Amino acid sequence: MVYTHKHPALLIIGIIMLAIGITTSNGMMNGVIEYLSLKKVVGEMELMSLTFGAISIIVGLWHMFGRHKQGSHLDYYGSTIAGAMFILLIAMLIKWFVAPEVAVISKSFGKIGDTGKYLHKLMGLNYVVLGILAGIIVVNVFKVPKWAENGVRLSRLGLKTGVILLGTLYSMAELAKLGRLSIIMIGFFVLGSVGIVLWMGARRKIPNSMAGVLSAGMGVCGVSATVAAAPVVQAKSVEIAYTIGTILIWGIGCMFLFPVVGQLLNMGPVQFGAWSGTGILNSAQVAGAALAFQPDGIETLKVAEIFNITRVLFLPIIVLWLAVWYVKREENAQQVNISKVIVGKFPMFVLGFILMFALSSTGIFAPANHYKGKYFDNNLPKAKLLSTQQLNILKAEKGKVQRVDRSEALARLIEQKKVSSIDDDAVLRGLVNAGVVSKEANKILKNAHKSVRHTAKKIKKFRQFITWLFAFGLVGLGMQITLGAIKQAGGQPLIIGGVVGTLKAVLSLAVVMMFVTETI
Amino acid sequence: MTEEKPKFLKGTSLSIFSNDRMEDFIALGCALLIALGVYLFV
Repeated sequence: MVYTHKHPALLIIGIIMLAIGITTSNGMMNGVIEYLSLKKVVGEMELMSLTFGAISIIVGLWHMFGRHKQGSHLDYYGSTIAGAMFILLIAMLIKWFVAPEVAVISKSFGKIGDTGKYLHKLMGLNYVVLGILAGIIVVNVFKVPKWAENGVRLSRLGLKTGVILLGTLYSMAELAKLGRLSIIMIGFFVLGSVGIVLWMGARRKIPNSMAGVLSAGMGVCGVSATVAAAPVVQAKSVEIAYTIGTILIWGIGCMFLFPVVGQLLNMGPVQFGAWSGTGILNSAQVAGAALAFQPDGIETLKVAEIFNITRVLFLPIIVLWLAVWYVKREENAQQVNISKVIVGKFPMFVLGFILMFALSSTGIFAPANHYKGKYFDNNLPKAKLLSTQQLNILKAEKGKVQRVDRSEALARLIEQKKVSSIDDDAVLRGLVNAGVVSKEANKILKNAHKSVRHTAKKIKKFRQFITWLFAFGLVGLGMQITLGAIKQAGGQPLIIGGVVGTLKAVLSLAVVMMFVTETI
Repeated sequence: MTEEKPKFLKGTSLSIFSNDRMEDFIALGCALLIALGVYLFV
């Protein structure tokens, strides 16, 4: 069998990519770039479109006019480039044009209630979800073209590479810094949720791969956890889509319900932050619920963020647990030597993920206390300190600040001409959010915050790679989800997800009300 | 809940590689290359 198709599709893909690259670099795309707020990605658009466009045209010419020998490795692996570029082009269109257009439309509706967030953020309508949807539409409406079939099978490689690099975003030092309460509570609920989903999955006889991926999604942090755990338990495309759908639908319901319950029970910021950070799965939805509960400050948001970060940092532990669990289950561990099976079957890329996590914890890519590449550092050069004019504006506004902690933090800021500590930074962010001082003063406070919050360049680059690897992998994953497969999957994952989600929300509420006081 | 049957001589309907371990190693290799590139040039 010769895998390479003598088809002009790859050439056409190359021409489209080159057209995007050229129109971006010569300014013809400026109107679109401004309308869709793409200024930050212009460099990426030029580089990627031109590079992959050129590759597509060269390989496309070889596919069309070259000689392809049956059984050769060159024919087999070379033929995958057509499908890979097909997926990449769709990913580019989704990430640069479709997702930003959805954001523009969503922003035209305004922010949703007190959540302080736009509809697309709250519904998780980002390139990840839109990419999977695009893949599903392609396969179910148009079918995957023959010339692309071989390359579509590269999508899982993209996901695995992305998952390994995901380890660079987290660090052990950040985990050590977190409060004992959040670690105990999150540990209990994350491990508990994973355990219950696995147990219910076995009782309801859903496949191990489905139970495994759903447990990670429901237990840890939604979409990234689902993607990370999927190859570990060899989850099928439809199972991943089911899990992501369950998490997003569940999260949206919780985001609107939690603030209402919080107000009814007269919860404080710490209690509500702890509850929402434990019970809601998606990061944007956690922030949305926290801001809806306390629109005039960020105390709730800050606590919720700590709980959210703690949950994400449990990801390596869960990935390891699922890897061992799955190997044992699939190999009928009672009859075989477990350690032998684990050595033989343990997914190597999980070790890669752990390796990257360990490297990131040493500070090789960013200061060791970073989280997703962001860190606090107030060793500022003189030029970055607040100017006399700015200090005078803040001094004039000082009387408006009534709360003692905010007033003290502001005094320290004025005295030192910079934010003096990570705690002060949080308090001053709350002051900005509360809208107590004038717009001008708020702008100065925001700039003071920005100058002590740094983003590590290396981690930023890793994020870019991860984003593209996931976009590539998830579009390809969507192309493997047929309507028939969705029907076959049935409604069990939704039932299990709903039961476990409700259990977690109710139990965490009970724990918070019993044990969490307003002063941690 | 089964995937479509493989229609390729090598690999499965999900992967072009002959087994998962090989795919893992290739992914690990790609990730390490990217990490090295980022470490050296960014």
